[in-house]
Amino acid sequence: MFGHLKAQEFLNLMEGAELPAERKLHLDGCARCTATLTSMLSVHGGVTSLDADIPEPDWAEFRSSVRDRLLSRAAQRSSAVRRWTGWPIRPAAAWALSLVVAVGITTAAFLWNMERMQTTVVEPPRPQPPAIELNDVEAMSLGWSKTSLFDDLIQLNDAQAEQVRAMLESPQKGTQYHQ
Amino acid sequence: MTAFDELMIRYERQIYRVCYRFVENREDAMDLAQEVFIKAFEHLPTFRQESSLKTWLYRIAMNHCINHVKKHSQEFVEVTEYTSSVRASAHAQMEEREQREHLRRMVKHLPPKQKAILELRINEQLSYEEIAKISGRSVSTIKASVFFALGKLRKLVKDPRIQKIRRV
Repeated sequence: MFGHLKAQEFLNLMEGAELPAERKLHLDGCARCTATLTSMLSVHGGVTSLDADIPEPDWAEFRSSVRDRLLSRAAQRSSAVRRWTGWPIRPAAAWALSLVVAVGITTAAFLWNMERMQTTVVEPPRPQPPAIELNDVEAMSLGWSKTSLFDDLIQLNDAQAEQVRAMLESPQKGTQYHQ
Repeated sequence: MTAFDELMIRYERQIYRVCYRFVENREDAMDLAQEVFIKAFEHLPTFRQESSLKTWLYRIAMNHCINHVKKHSQEFVEVTEYTSSVRASAHAQMEEREQREHLRRMVKHLPPKQKAILELRINEQLSYEEIAKISGRSVSTIKASVFFALGKLRKLVKDPRIQKIRRV
């Protein structure tokens, strides 16, 4: 709290605030602080007085001018938008639109054709696994009989064939075969 | 009365005054103030009400004016040019008017942001808190800025080069 007045204290004094007693005492006894305050007050007053010289405009004219400028800016903006959607752009827009339509129709036709082809195409025969030719040894190892029942019948003599036939036909006739 | 008229009537004078102090010319000040209101109306939908409308408008005005000054800084009269104009007006009838003119020219030499803060505080009598919100700085920085702006003006006004020529 000692020493010369600080900026904040000068400001408070210029704006009409009071200083604490001990600071006021310092101000009264300090030629430097008093001189600073006097010149600062003079400049402060001078700056305040500058305000009186400001000429007043015609406020109605001022307002209407702001309104006009706002309207003209809005009009400029909308005309800029219109410029991009107006006559100069229309041929290009029409060309672009026709291109889009042409590409669309071509794509649709191509897709439709593809779909149709897929439904009419006959599926190629699936490759069958090759018939396995087993020799006797392989067939025996698998527990299969290489010869069919018909072959067995062929190899039977007449009596045996007759017996087998009787065995096969016996349920149809209601008879039971007993071995 | 429309919202447009209400907003304009409430703030037009204040915004115009701020602009005038930057350009010192009625036509240019009107032009700047109109641009401030146009910007405000165009950006009104984005106003988030985090600050008051008044603070928001002052912020737009301050930024707009500072940008304008920066853009046209070469057009402002330098101290050396000023001295010759003072010599020419040495025979002016009113000493007080001359002094005011002198001070006004000195204010022009302040950095734009410092000048804006000084104007908002001294002439618009906004609170330090309001100015802090407008400029996005702390209250203590604003206070220091006002003090240093006044100190700088004090030095400029006391400049012996200028004083000597003013007395011619």
